[in-house]
Amino acid sequence: MDSSGSFRNTDQEIIEQLRQGGIDKRRSEEQLFNRFAYFIREGMTKHALSEDESFNAYSDTILAALENIRNTHFEARASLKTYLYQIFHNKCVDLLRKRTTNKNSVNRPETISDKLMLLSDTARSIVQKLIDKADWNLLKEKLNQLEEKCRQLLMFWGENYSDREIASLLQYKTADVVKTSRLRCLERLRKLYNI
Amino acid sequence: MDNLDYIESYFSREPDADRTREFDKKIESDPVFAEEVAFYLSALQVSREESQSKKRNQFREIYQKNQTVDPPHVQESSGGHLKRTSRITPIRKLVYSIATAAAISGIIFGTYTFTNTASPQQMARRFSKEHLQNLGVTMSAHSNSQQTGLTMYNDGKYAEALIQFETIIQSDTSDFTAKEYAGLSALQLNDYSKALAWFNELETYTNNYANPAHLYQALTLMERNQPGDNEKAKQLLQHIVEHDEDGKETAQEWLKKW
Repeated sequence: MDSSGSFRNTDQEIIEQLRQGGIDKRRSEEQLFNRFAYFIREGMTKHALSEDESFNAYSDTILAALENIRNTHFEARASLKTYLYQIFHNKCVDLLRKRTTNKNSVNRPETISDKLMLLSDTARSIVQKLIDKADWNLLKEKLNQLEEKCRQLLMFWGENYSDREIASLLQYKTADVVKTSRLRCLERLRKLYNI
Repeated sequence: MDNLDYIESYFSREPDADRTREFDKKIESDPVFAEEVAFYLSALQVSREESQSKKRNQFREIYQKNQTVDPPHVQESSGGHLKRTSRITPIRKLVYSIATAAAISGIIFGTYTFTNTASPQQMARRFSKEHLQNLGVTMSAHSNSQQTGLTMYNDGKYAEALIQFETIIQSDTSDFTAKEYAGLSALQLNDYSKALAWFNELETYTNNYANPAHLYQALTLMERNQPGDNEKAKQLLQHIVEHDEDGKETAQEWLKKW
């Protein structure tokens, strides 16, 4: 029991549950979110963010932490609280900077940037221009028109889950089956998007 | 799909110089291929954003629900200004989460211990005996009315526990946890109609991140074992599996043994 009188799983228990699949993982995500939700108030008081901004910073903190815990990038050298607070603080500062600089700048995500760096300058420039021209809203709309299983497959893929992890989470027999199904779903999405 | 496979294979591992040259050349010389690469990367990002957006919405629901259940306290600070304190997560919610997590963990673990086929009623009774007779492990040390009810429940005083939980519900008709425990108390008393009535109530909490309503309904029907009950229970279990609801692993295990 902690000082506030609540029973809590230890950091290690939460991390282990988050690295597992299934229901426990989902519950652990909720527990992790609830455990440090008071950061939202701190974002409002210490960084003068609105409740909505602070909530967004905190949600993004949890999402980043979940990914790092799953990918074992979080090595538990610091406590979860310290680790999360550091991310949260940085996100709050980022938000404040965005407020004072270019509010409308398009924040191209790291996932794409990392992959684009694998191309030569010329090829990267061609692909980048095409990506900039892409209608992301339409793509999202088409993604949501796919059947549930396809959507789940692609969303796990988007979150960098390996095919093996997806197989376990979505009850596929093997990672190879996941890959084939996922590429089929991608192909379906491409046809819906009409390129 | 061949191109998508090729594109994925390129981005999935550190490419060597030859593969990079070949891939770059194809992008530069084949506009259709370049479009496909752009599509692949855009789809990856959009999928990620959709997934994160879904989770963010779930977090927002949790946050808003917690705010509604237990709004931030307002205190007067030393300067005379009103200051909101940061007690956002109610203990009750945390306790509920932990208790349900423990119960479901037990469910998952317990189902793997079933080695022989059994009738639905036997499976339900075994489950109740192994996982629902004591809810106190994760619940102790909260001297509120809910804790009193739990203590009664764990002492086997199910009738008193039921009254206690129903009293809590009368004072707070939105109390999900009290309804859950009222249902479980009724189930222990073999008052299946009442148990189902409370578990049906749980079903209306559609925004809950965790809701074992369907599992409990199926459990009650399996245990009651009246004509038609098993069919309804089976449909509920199939629904749980199809919709990835709480207790999915248990439902799958039971369906296998059906």
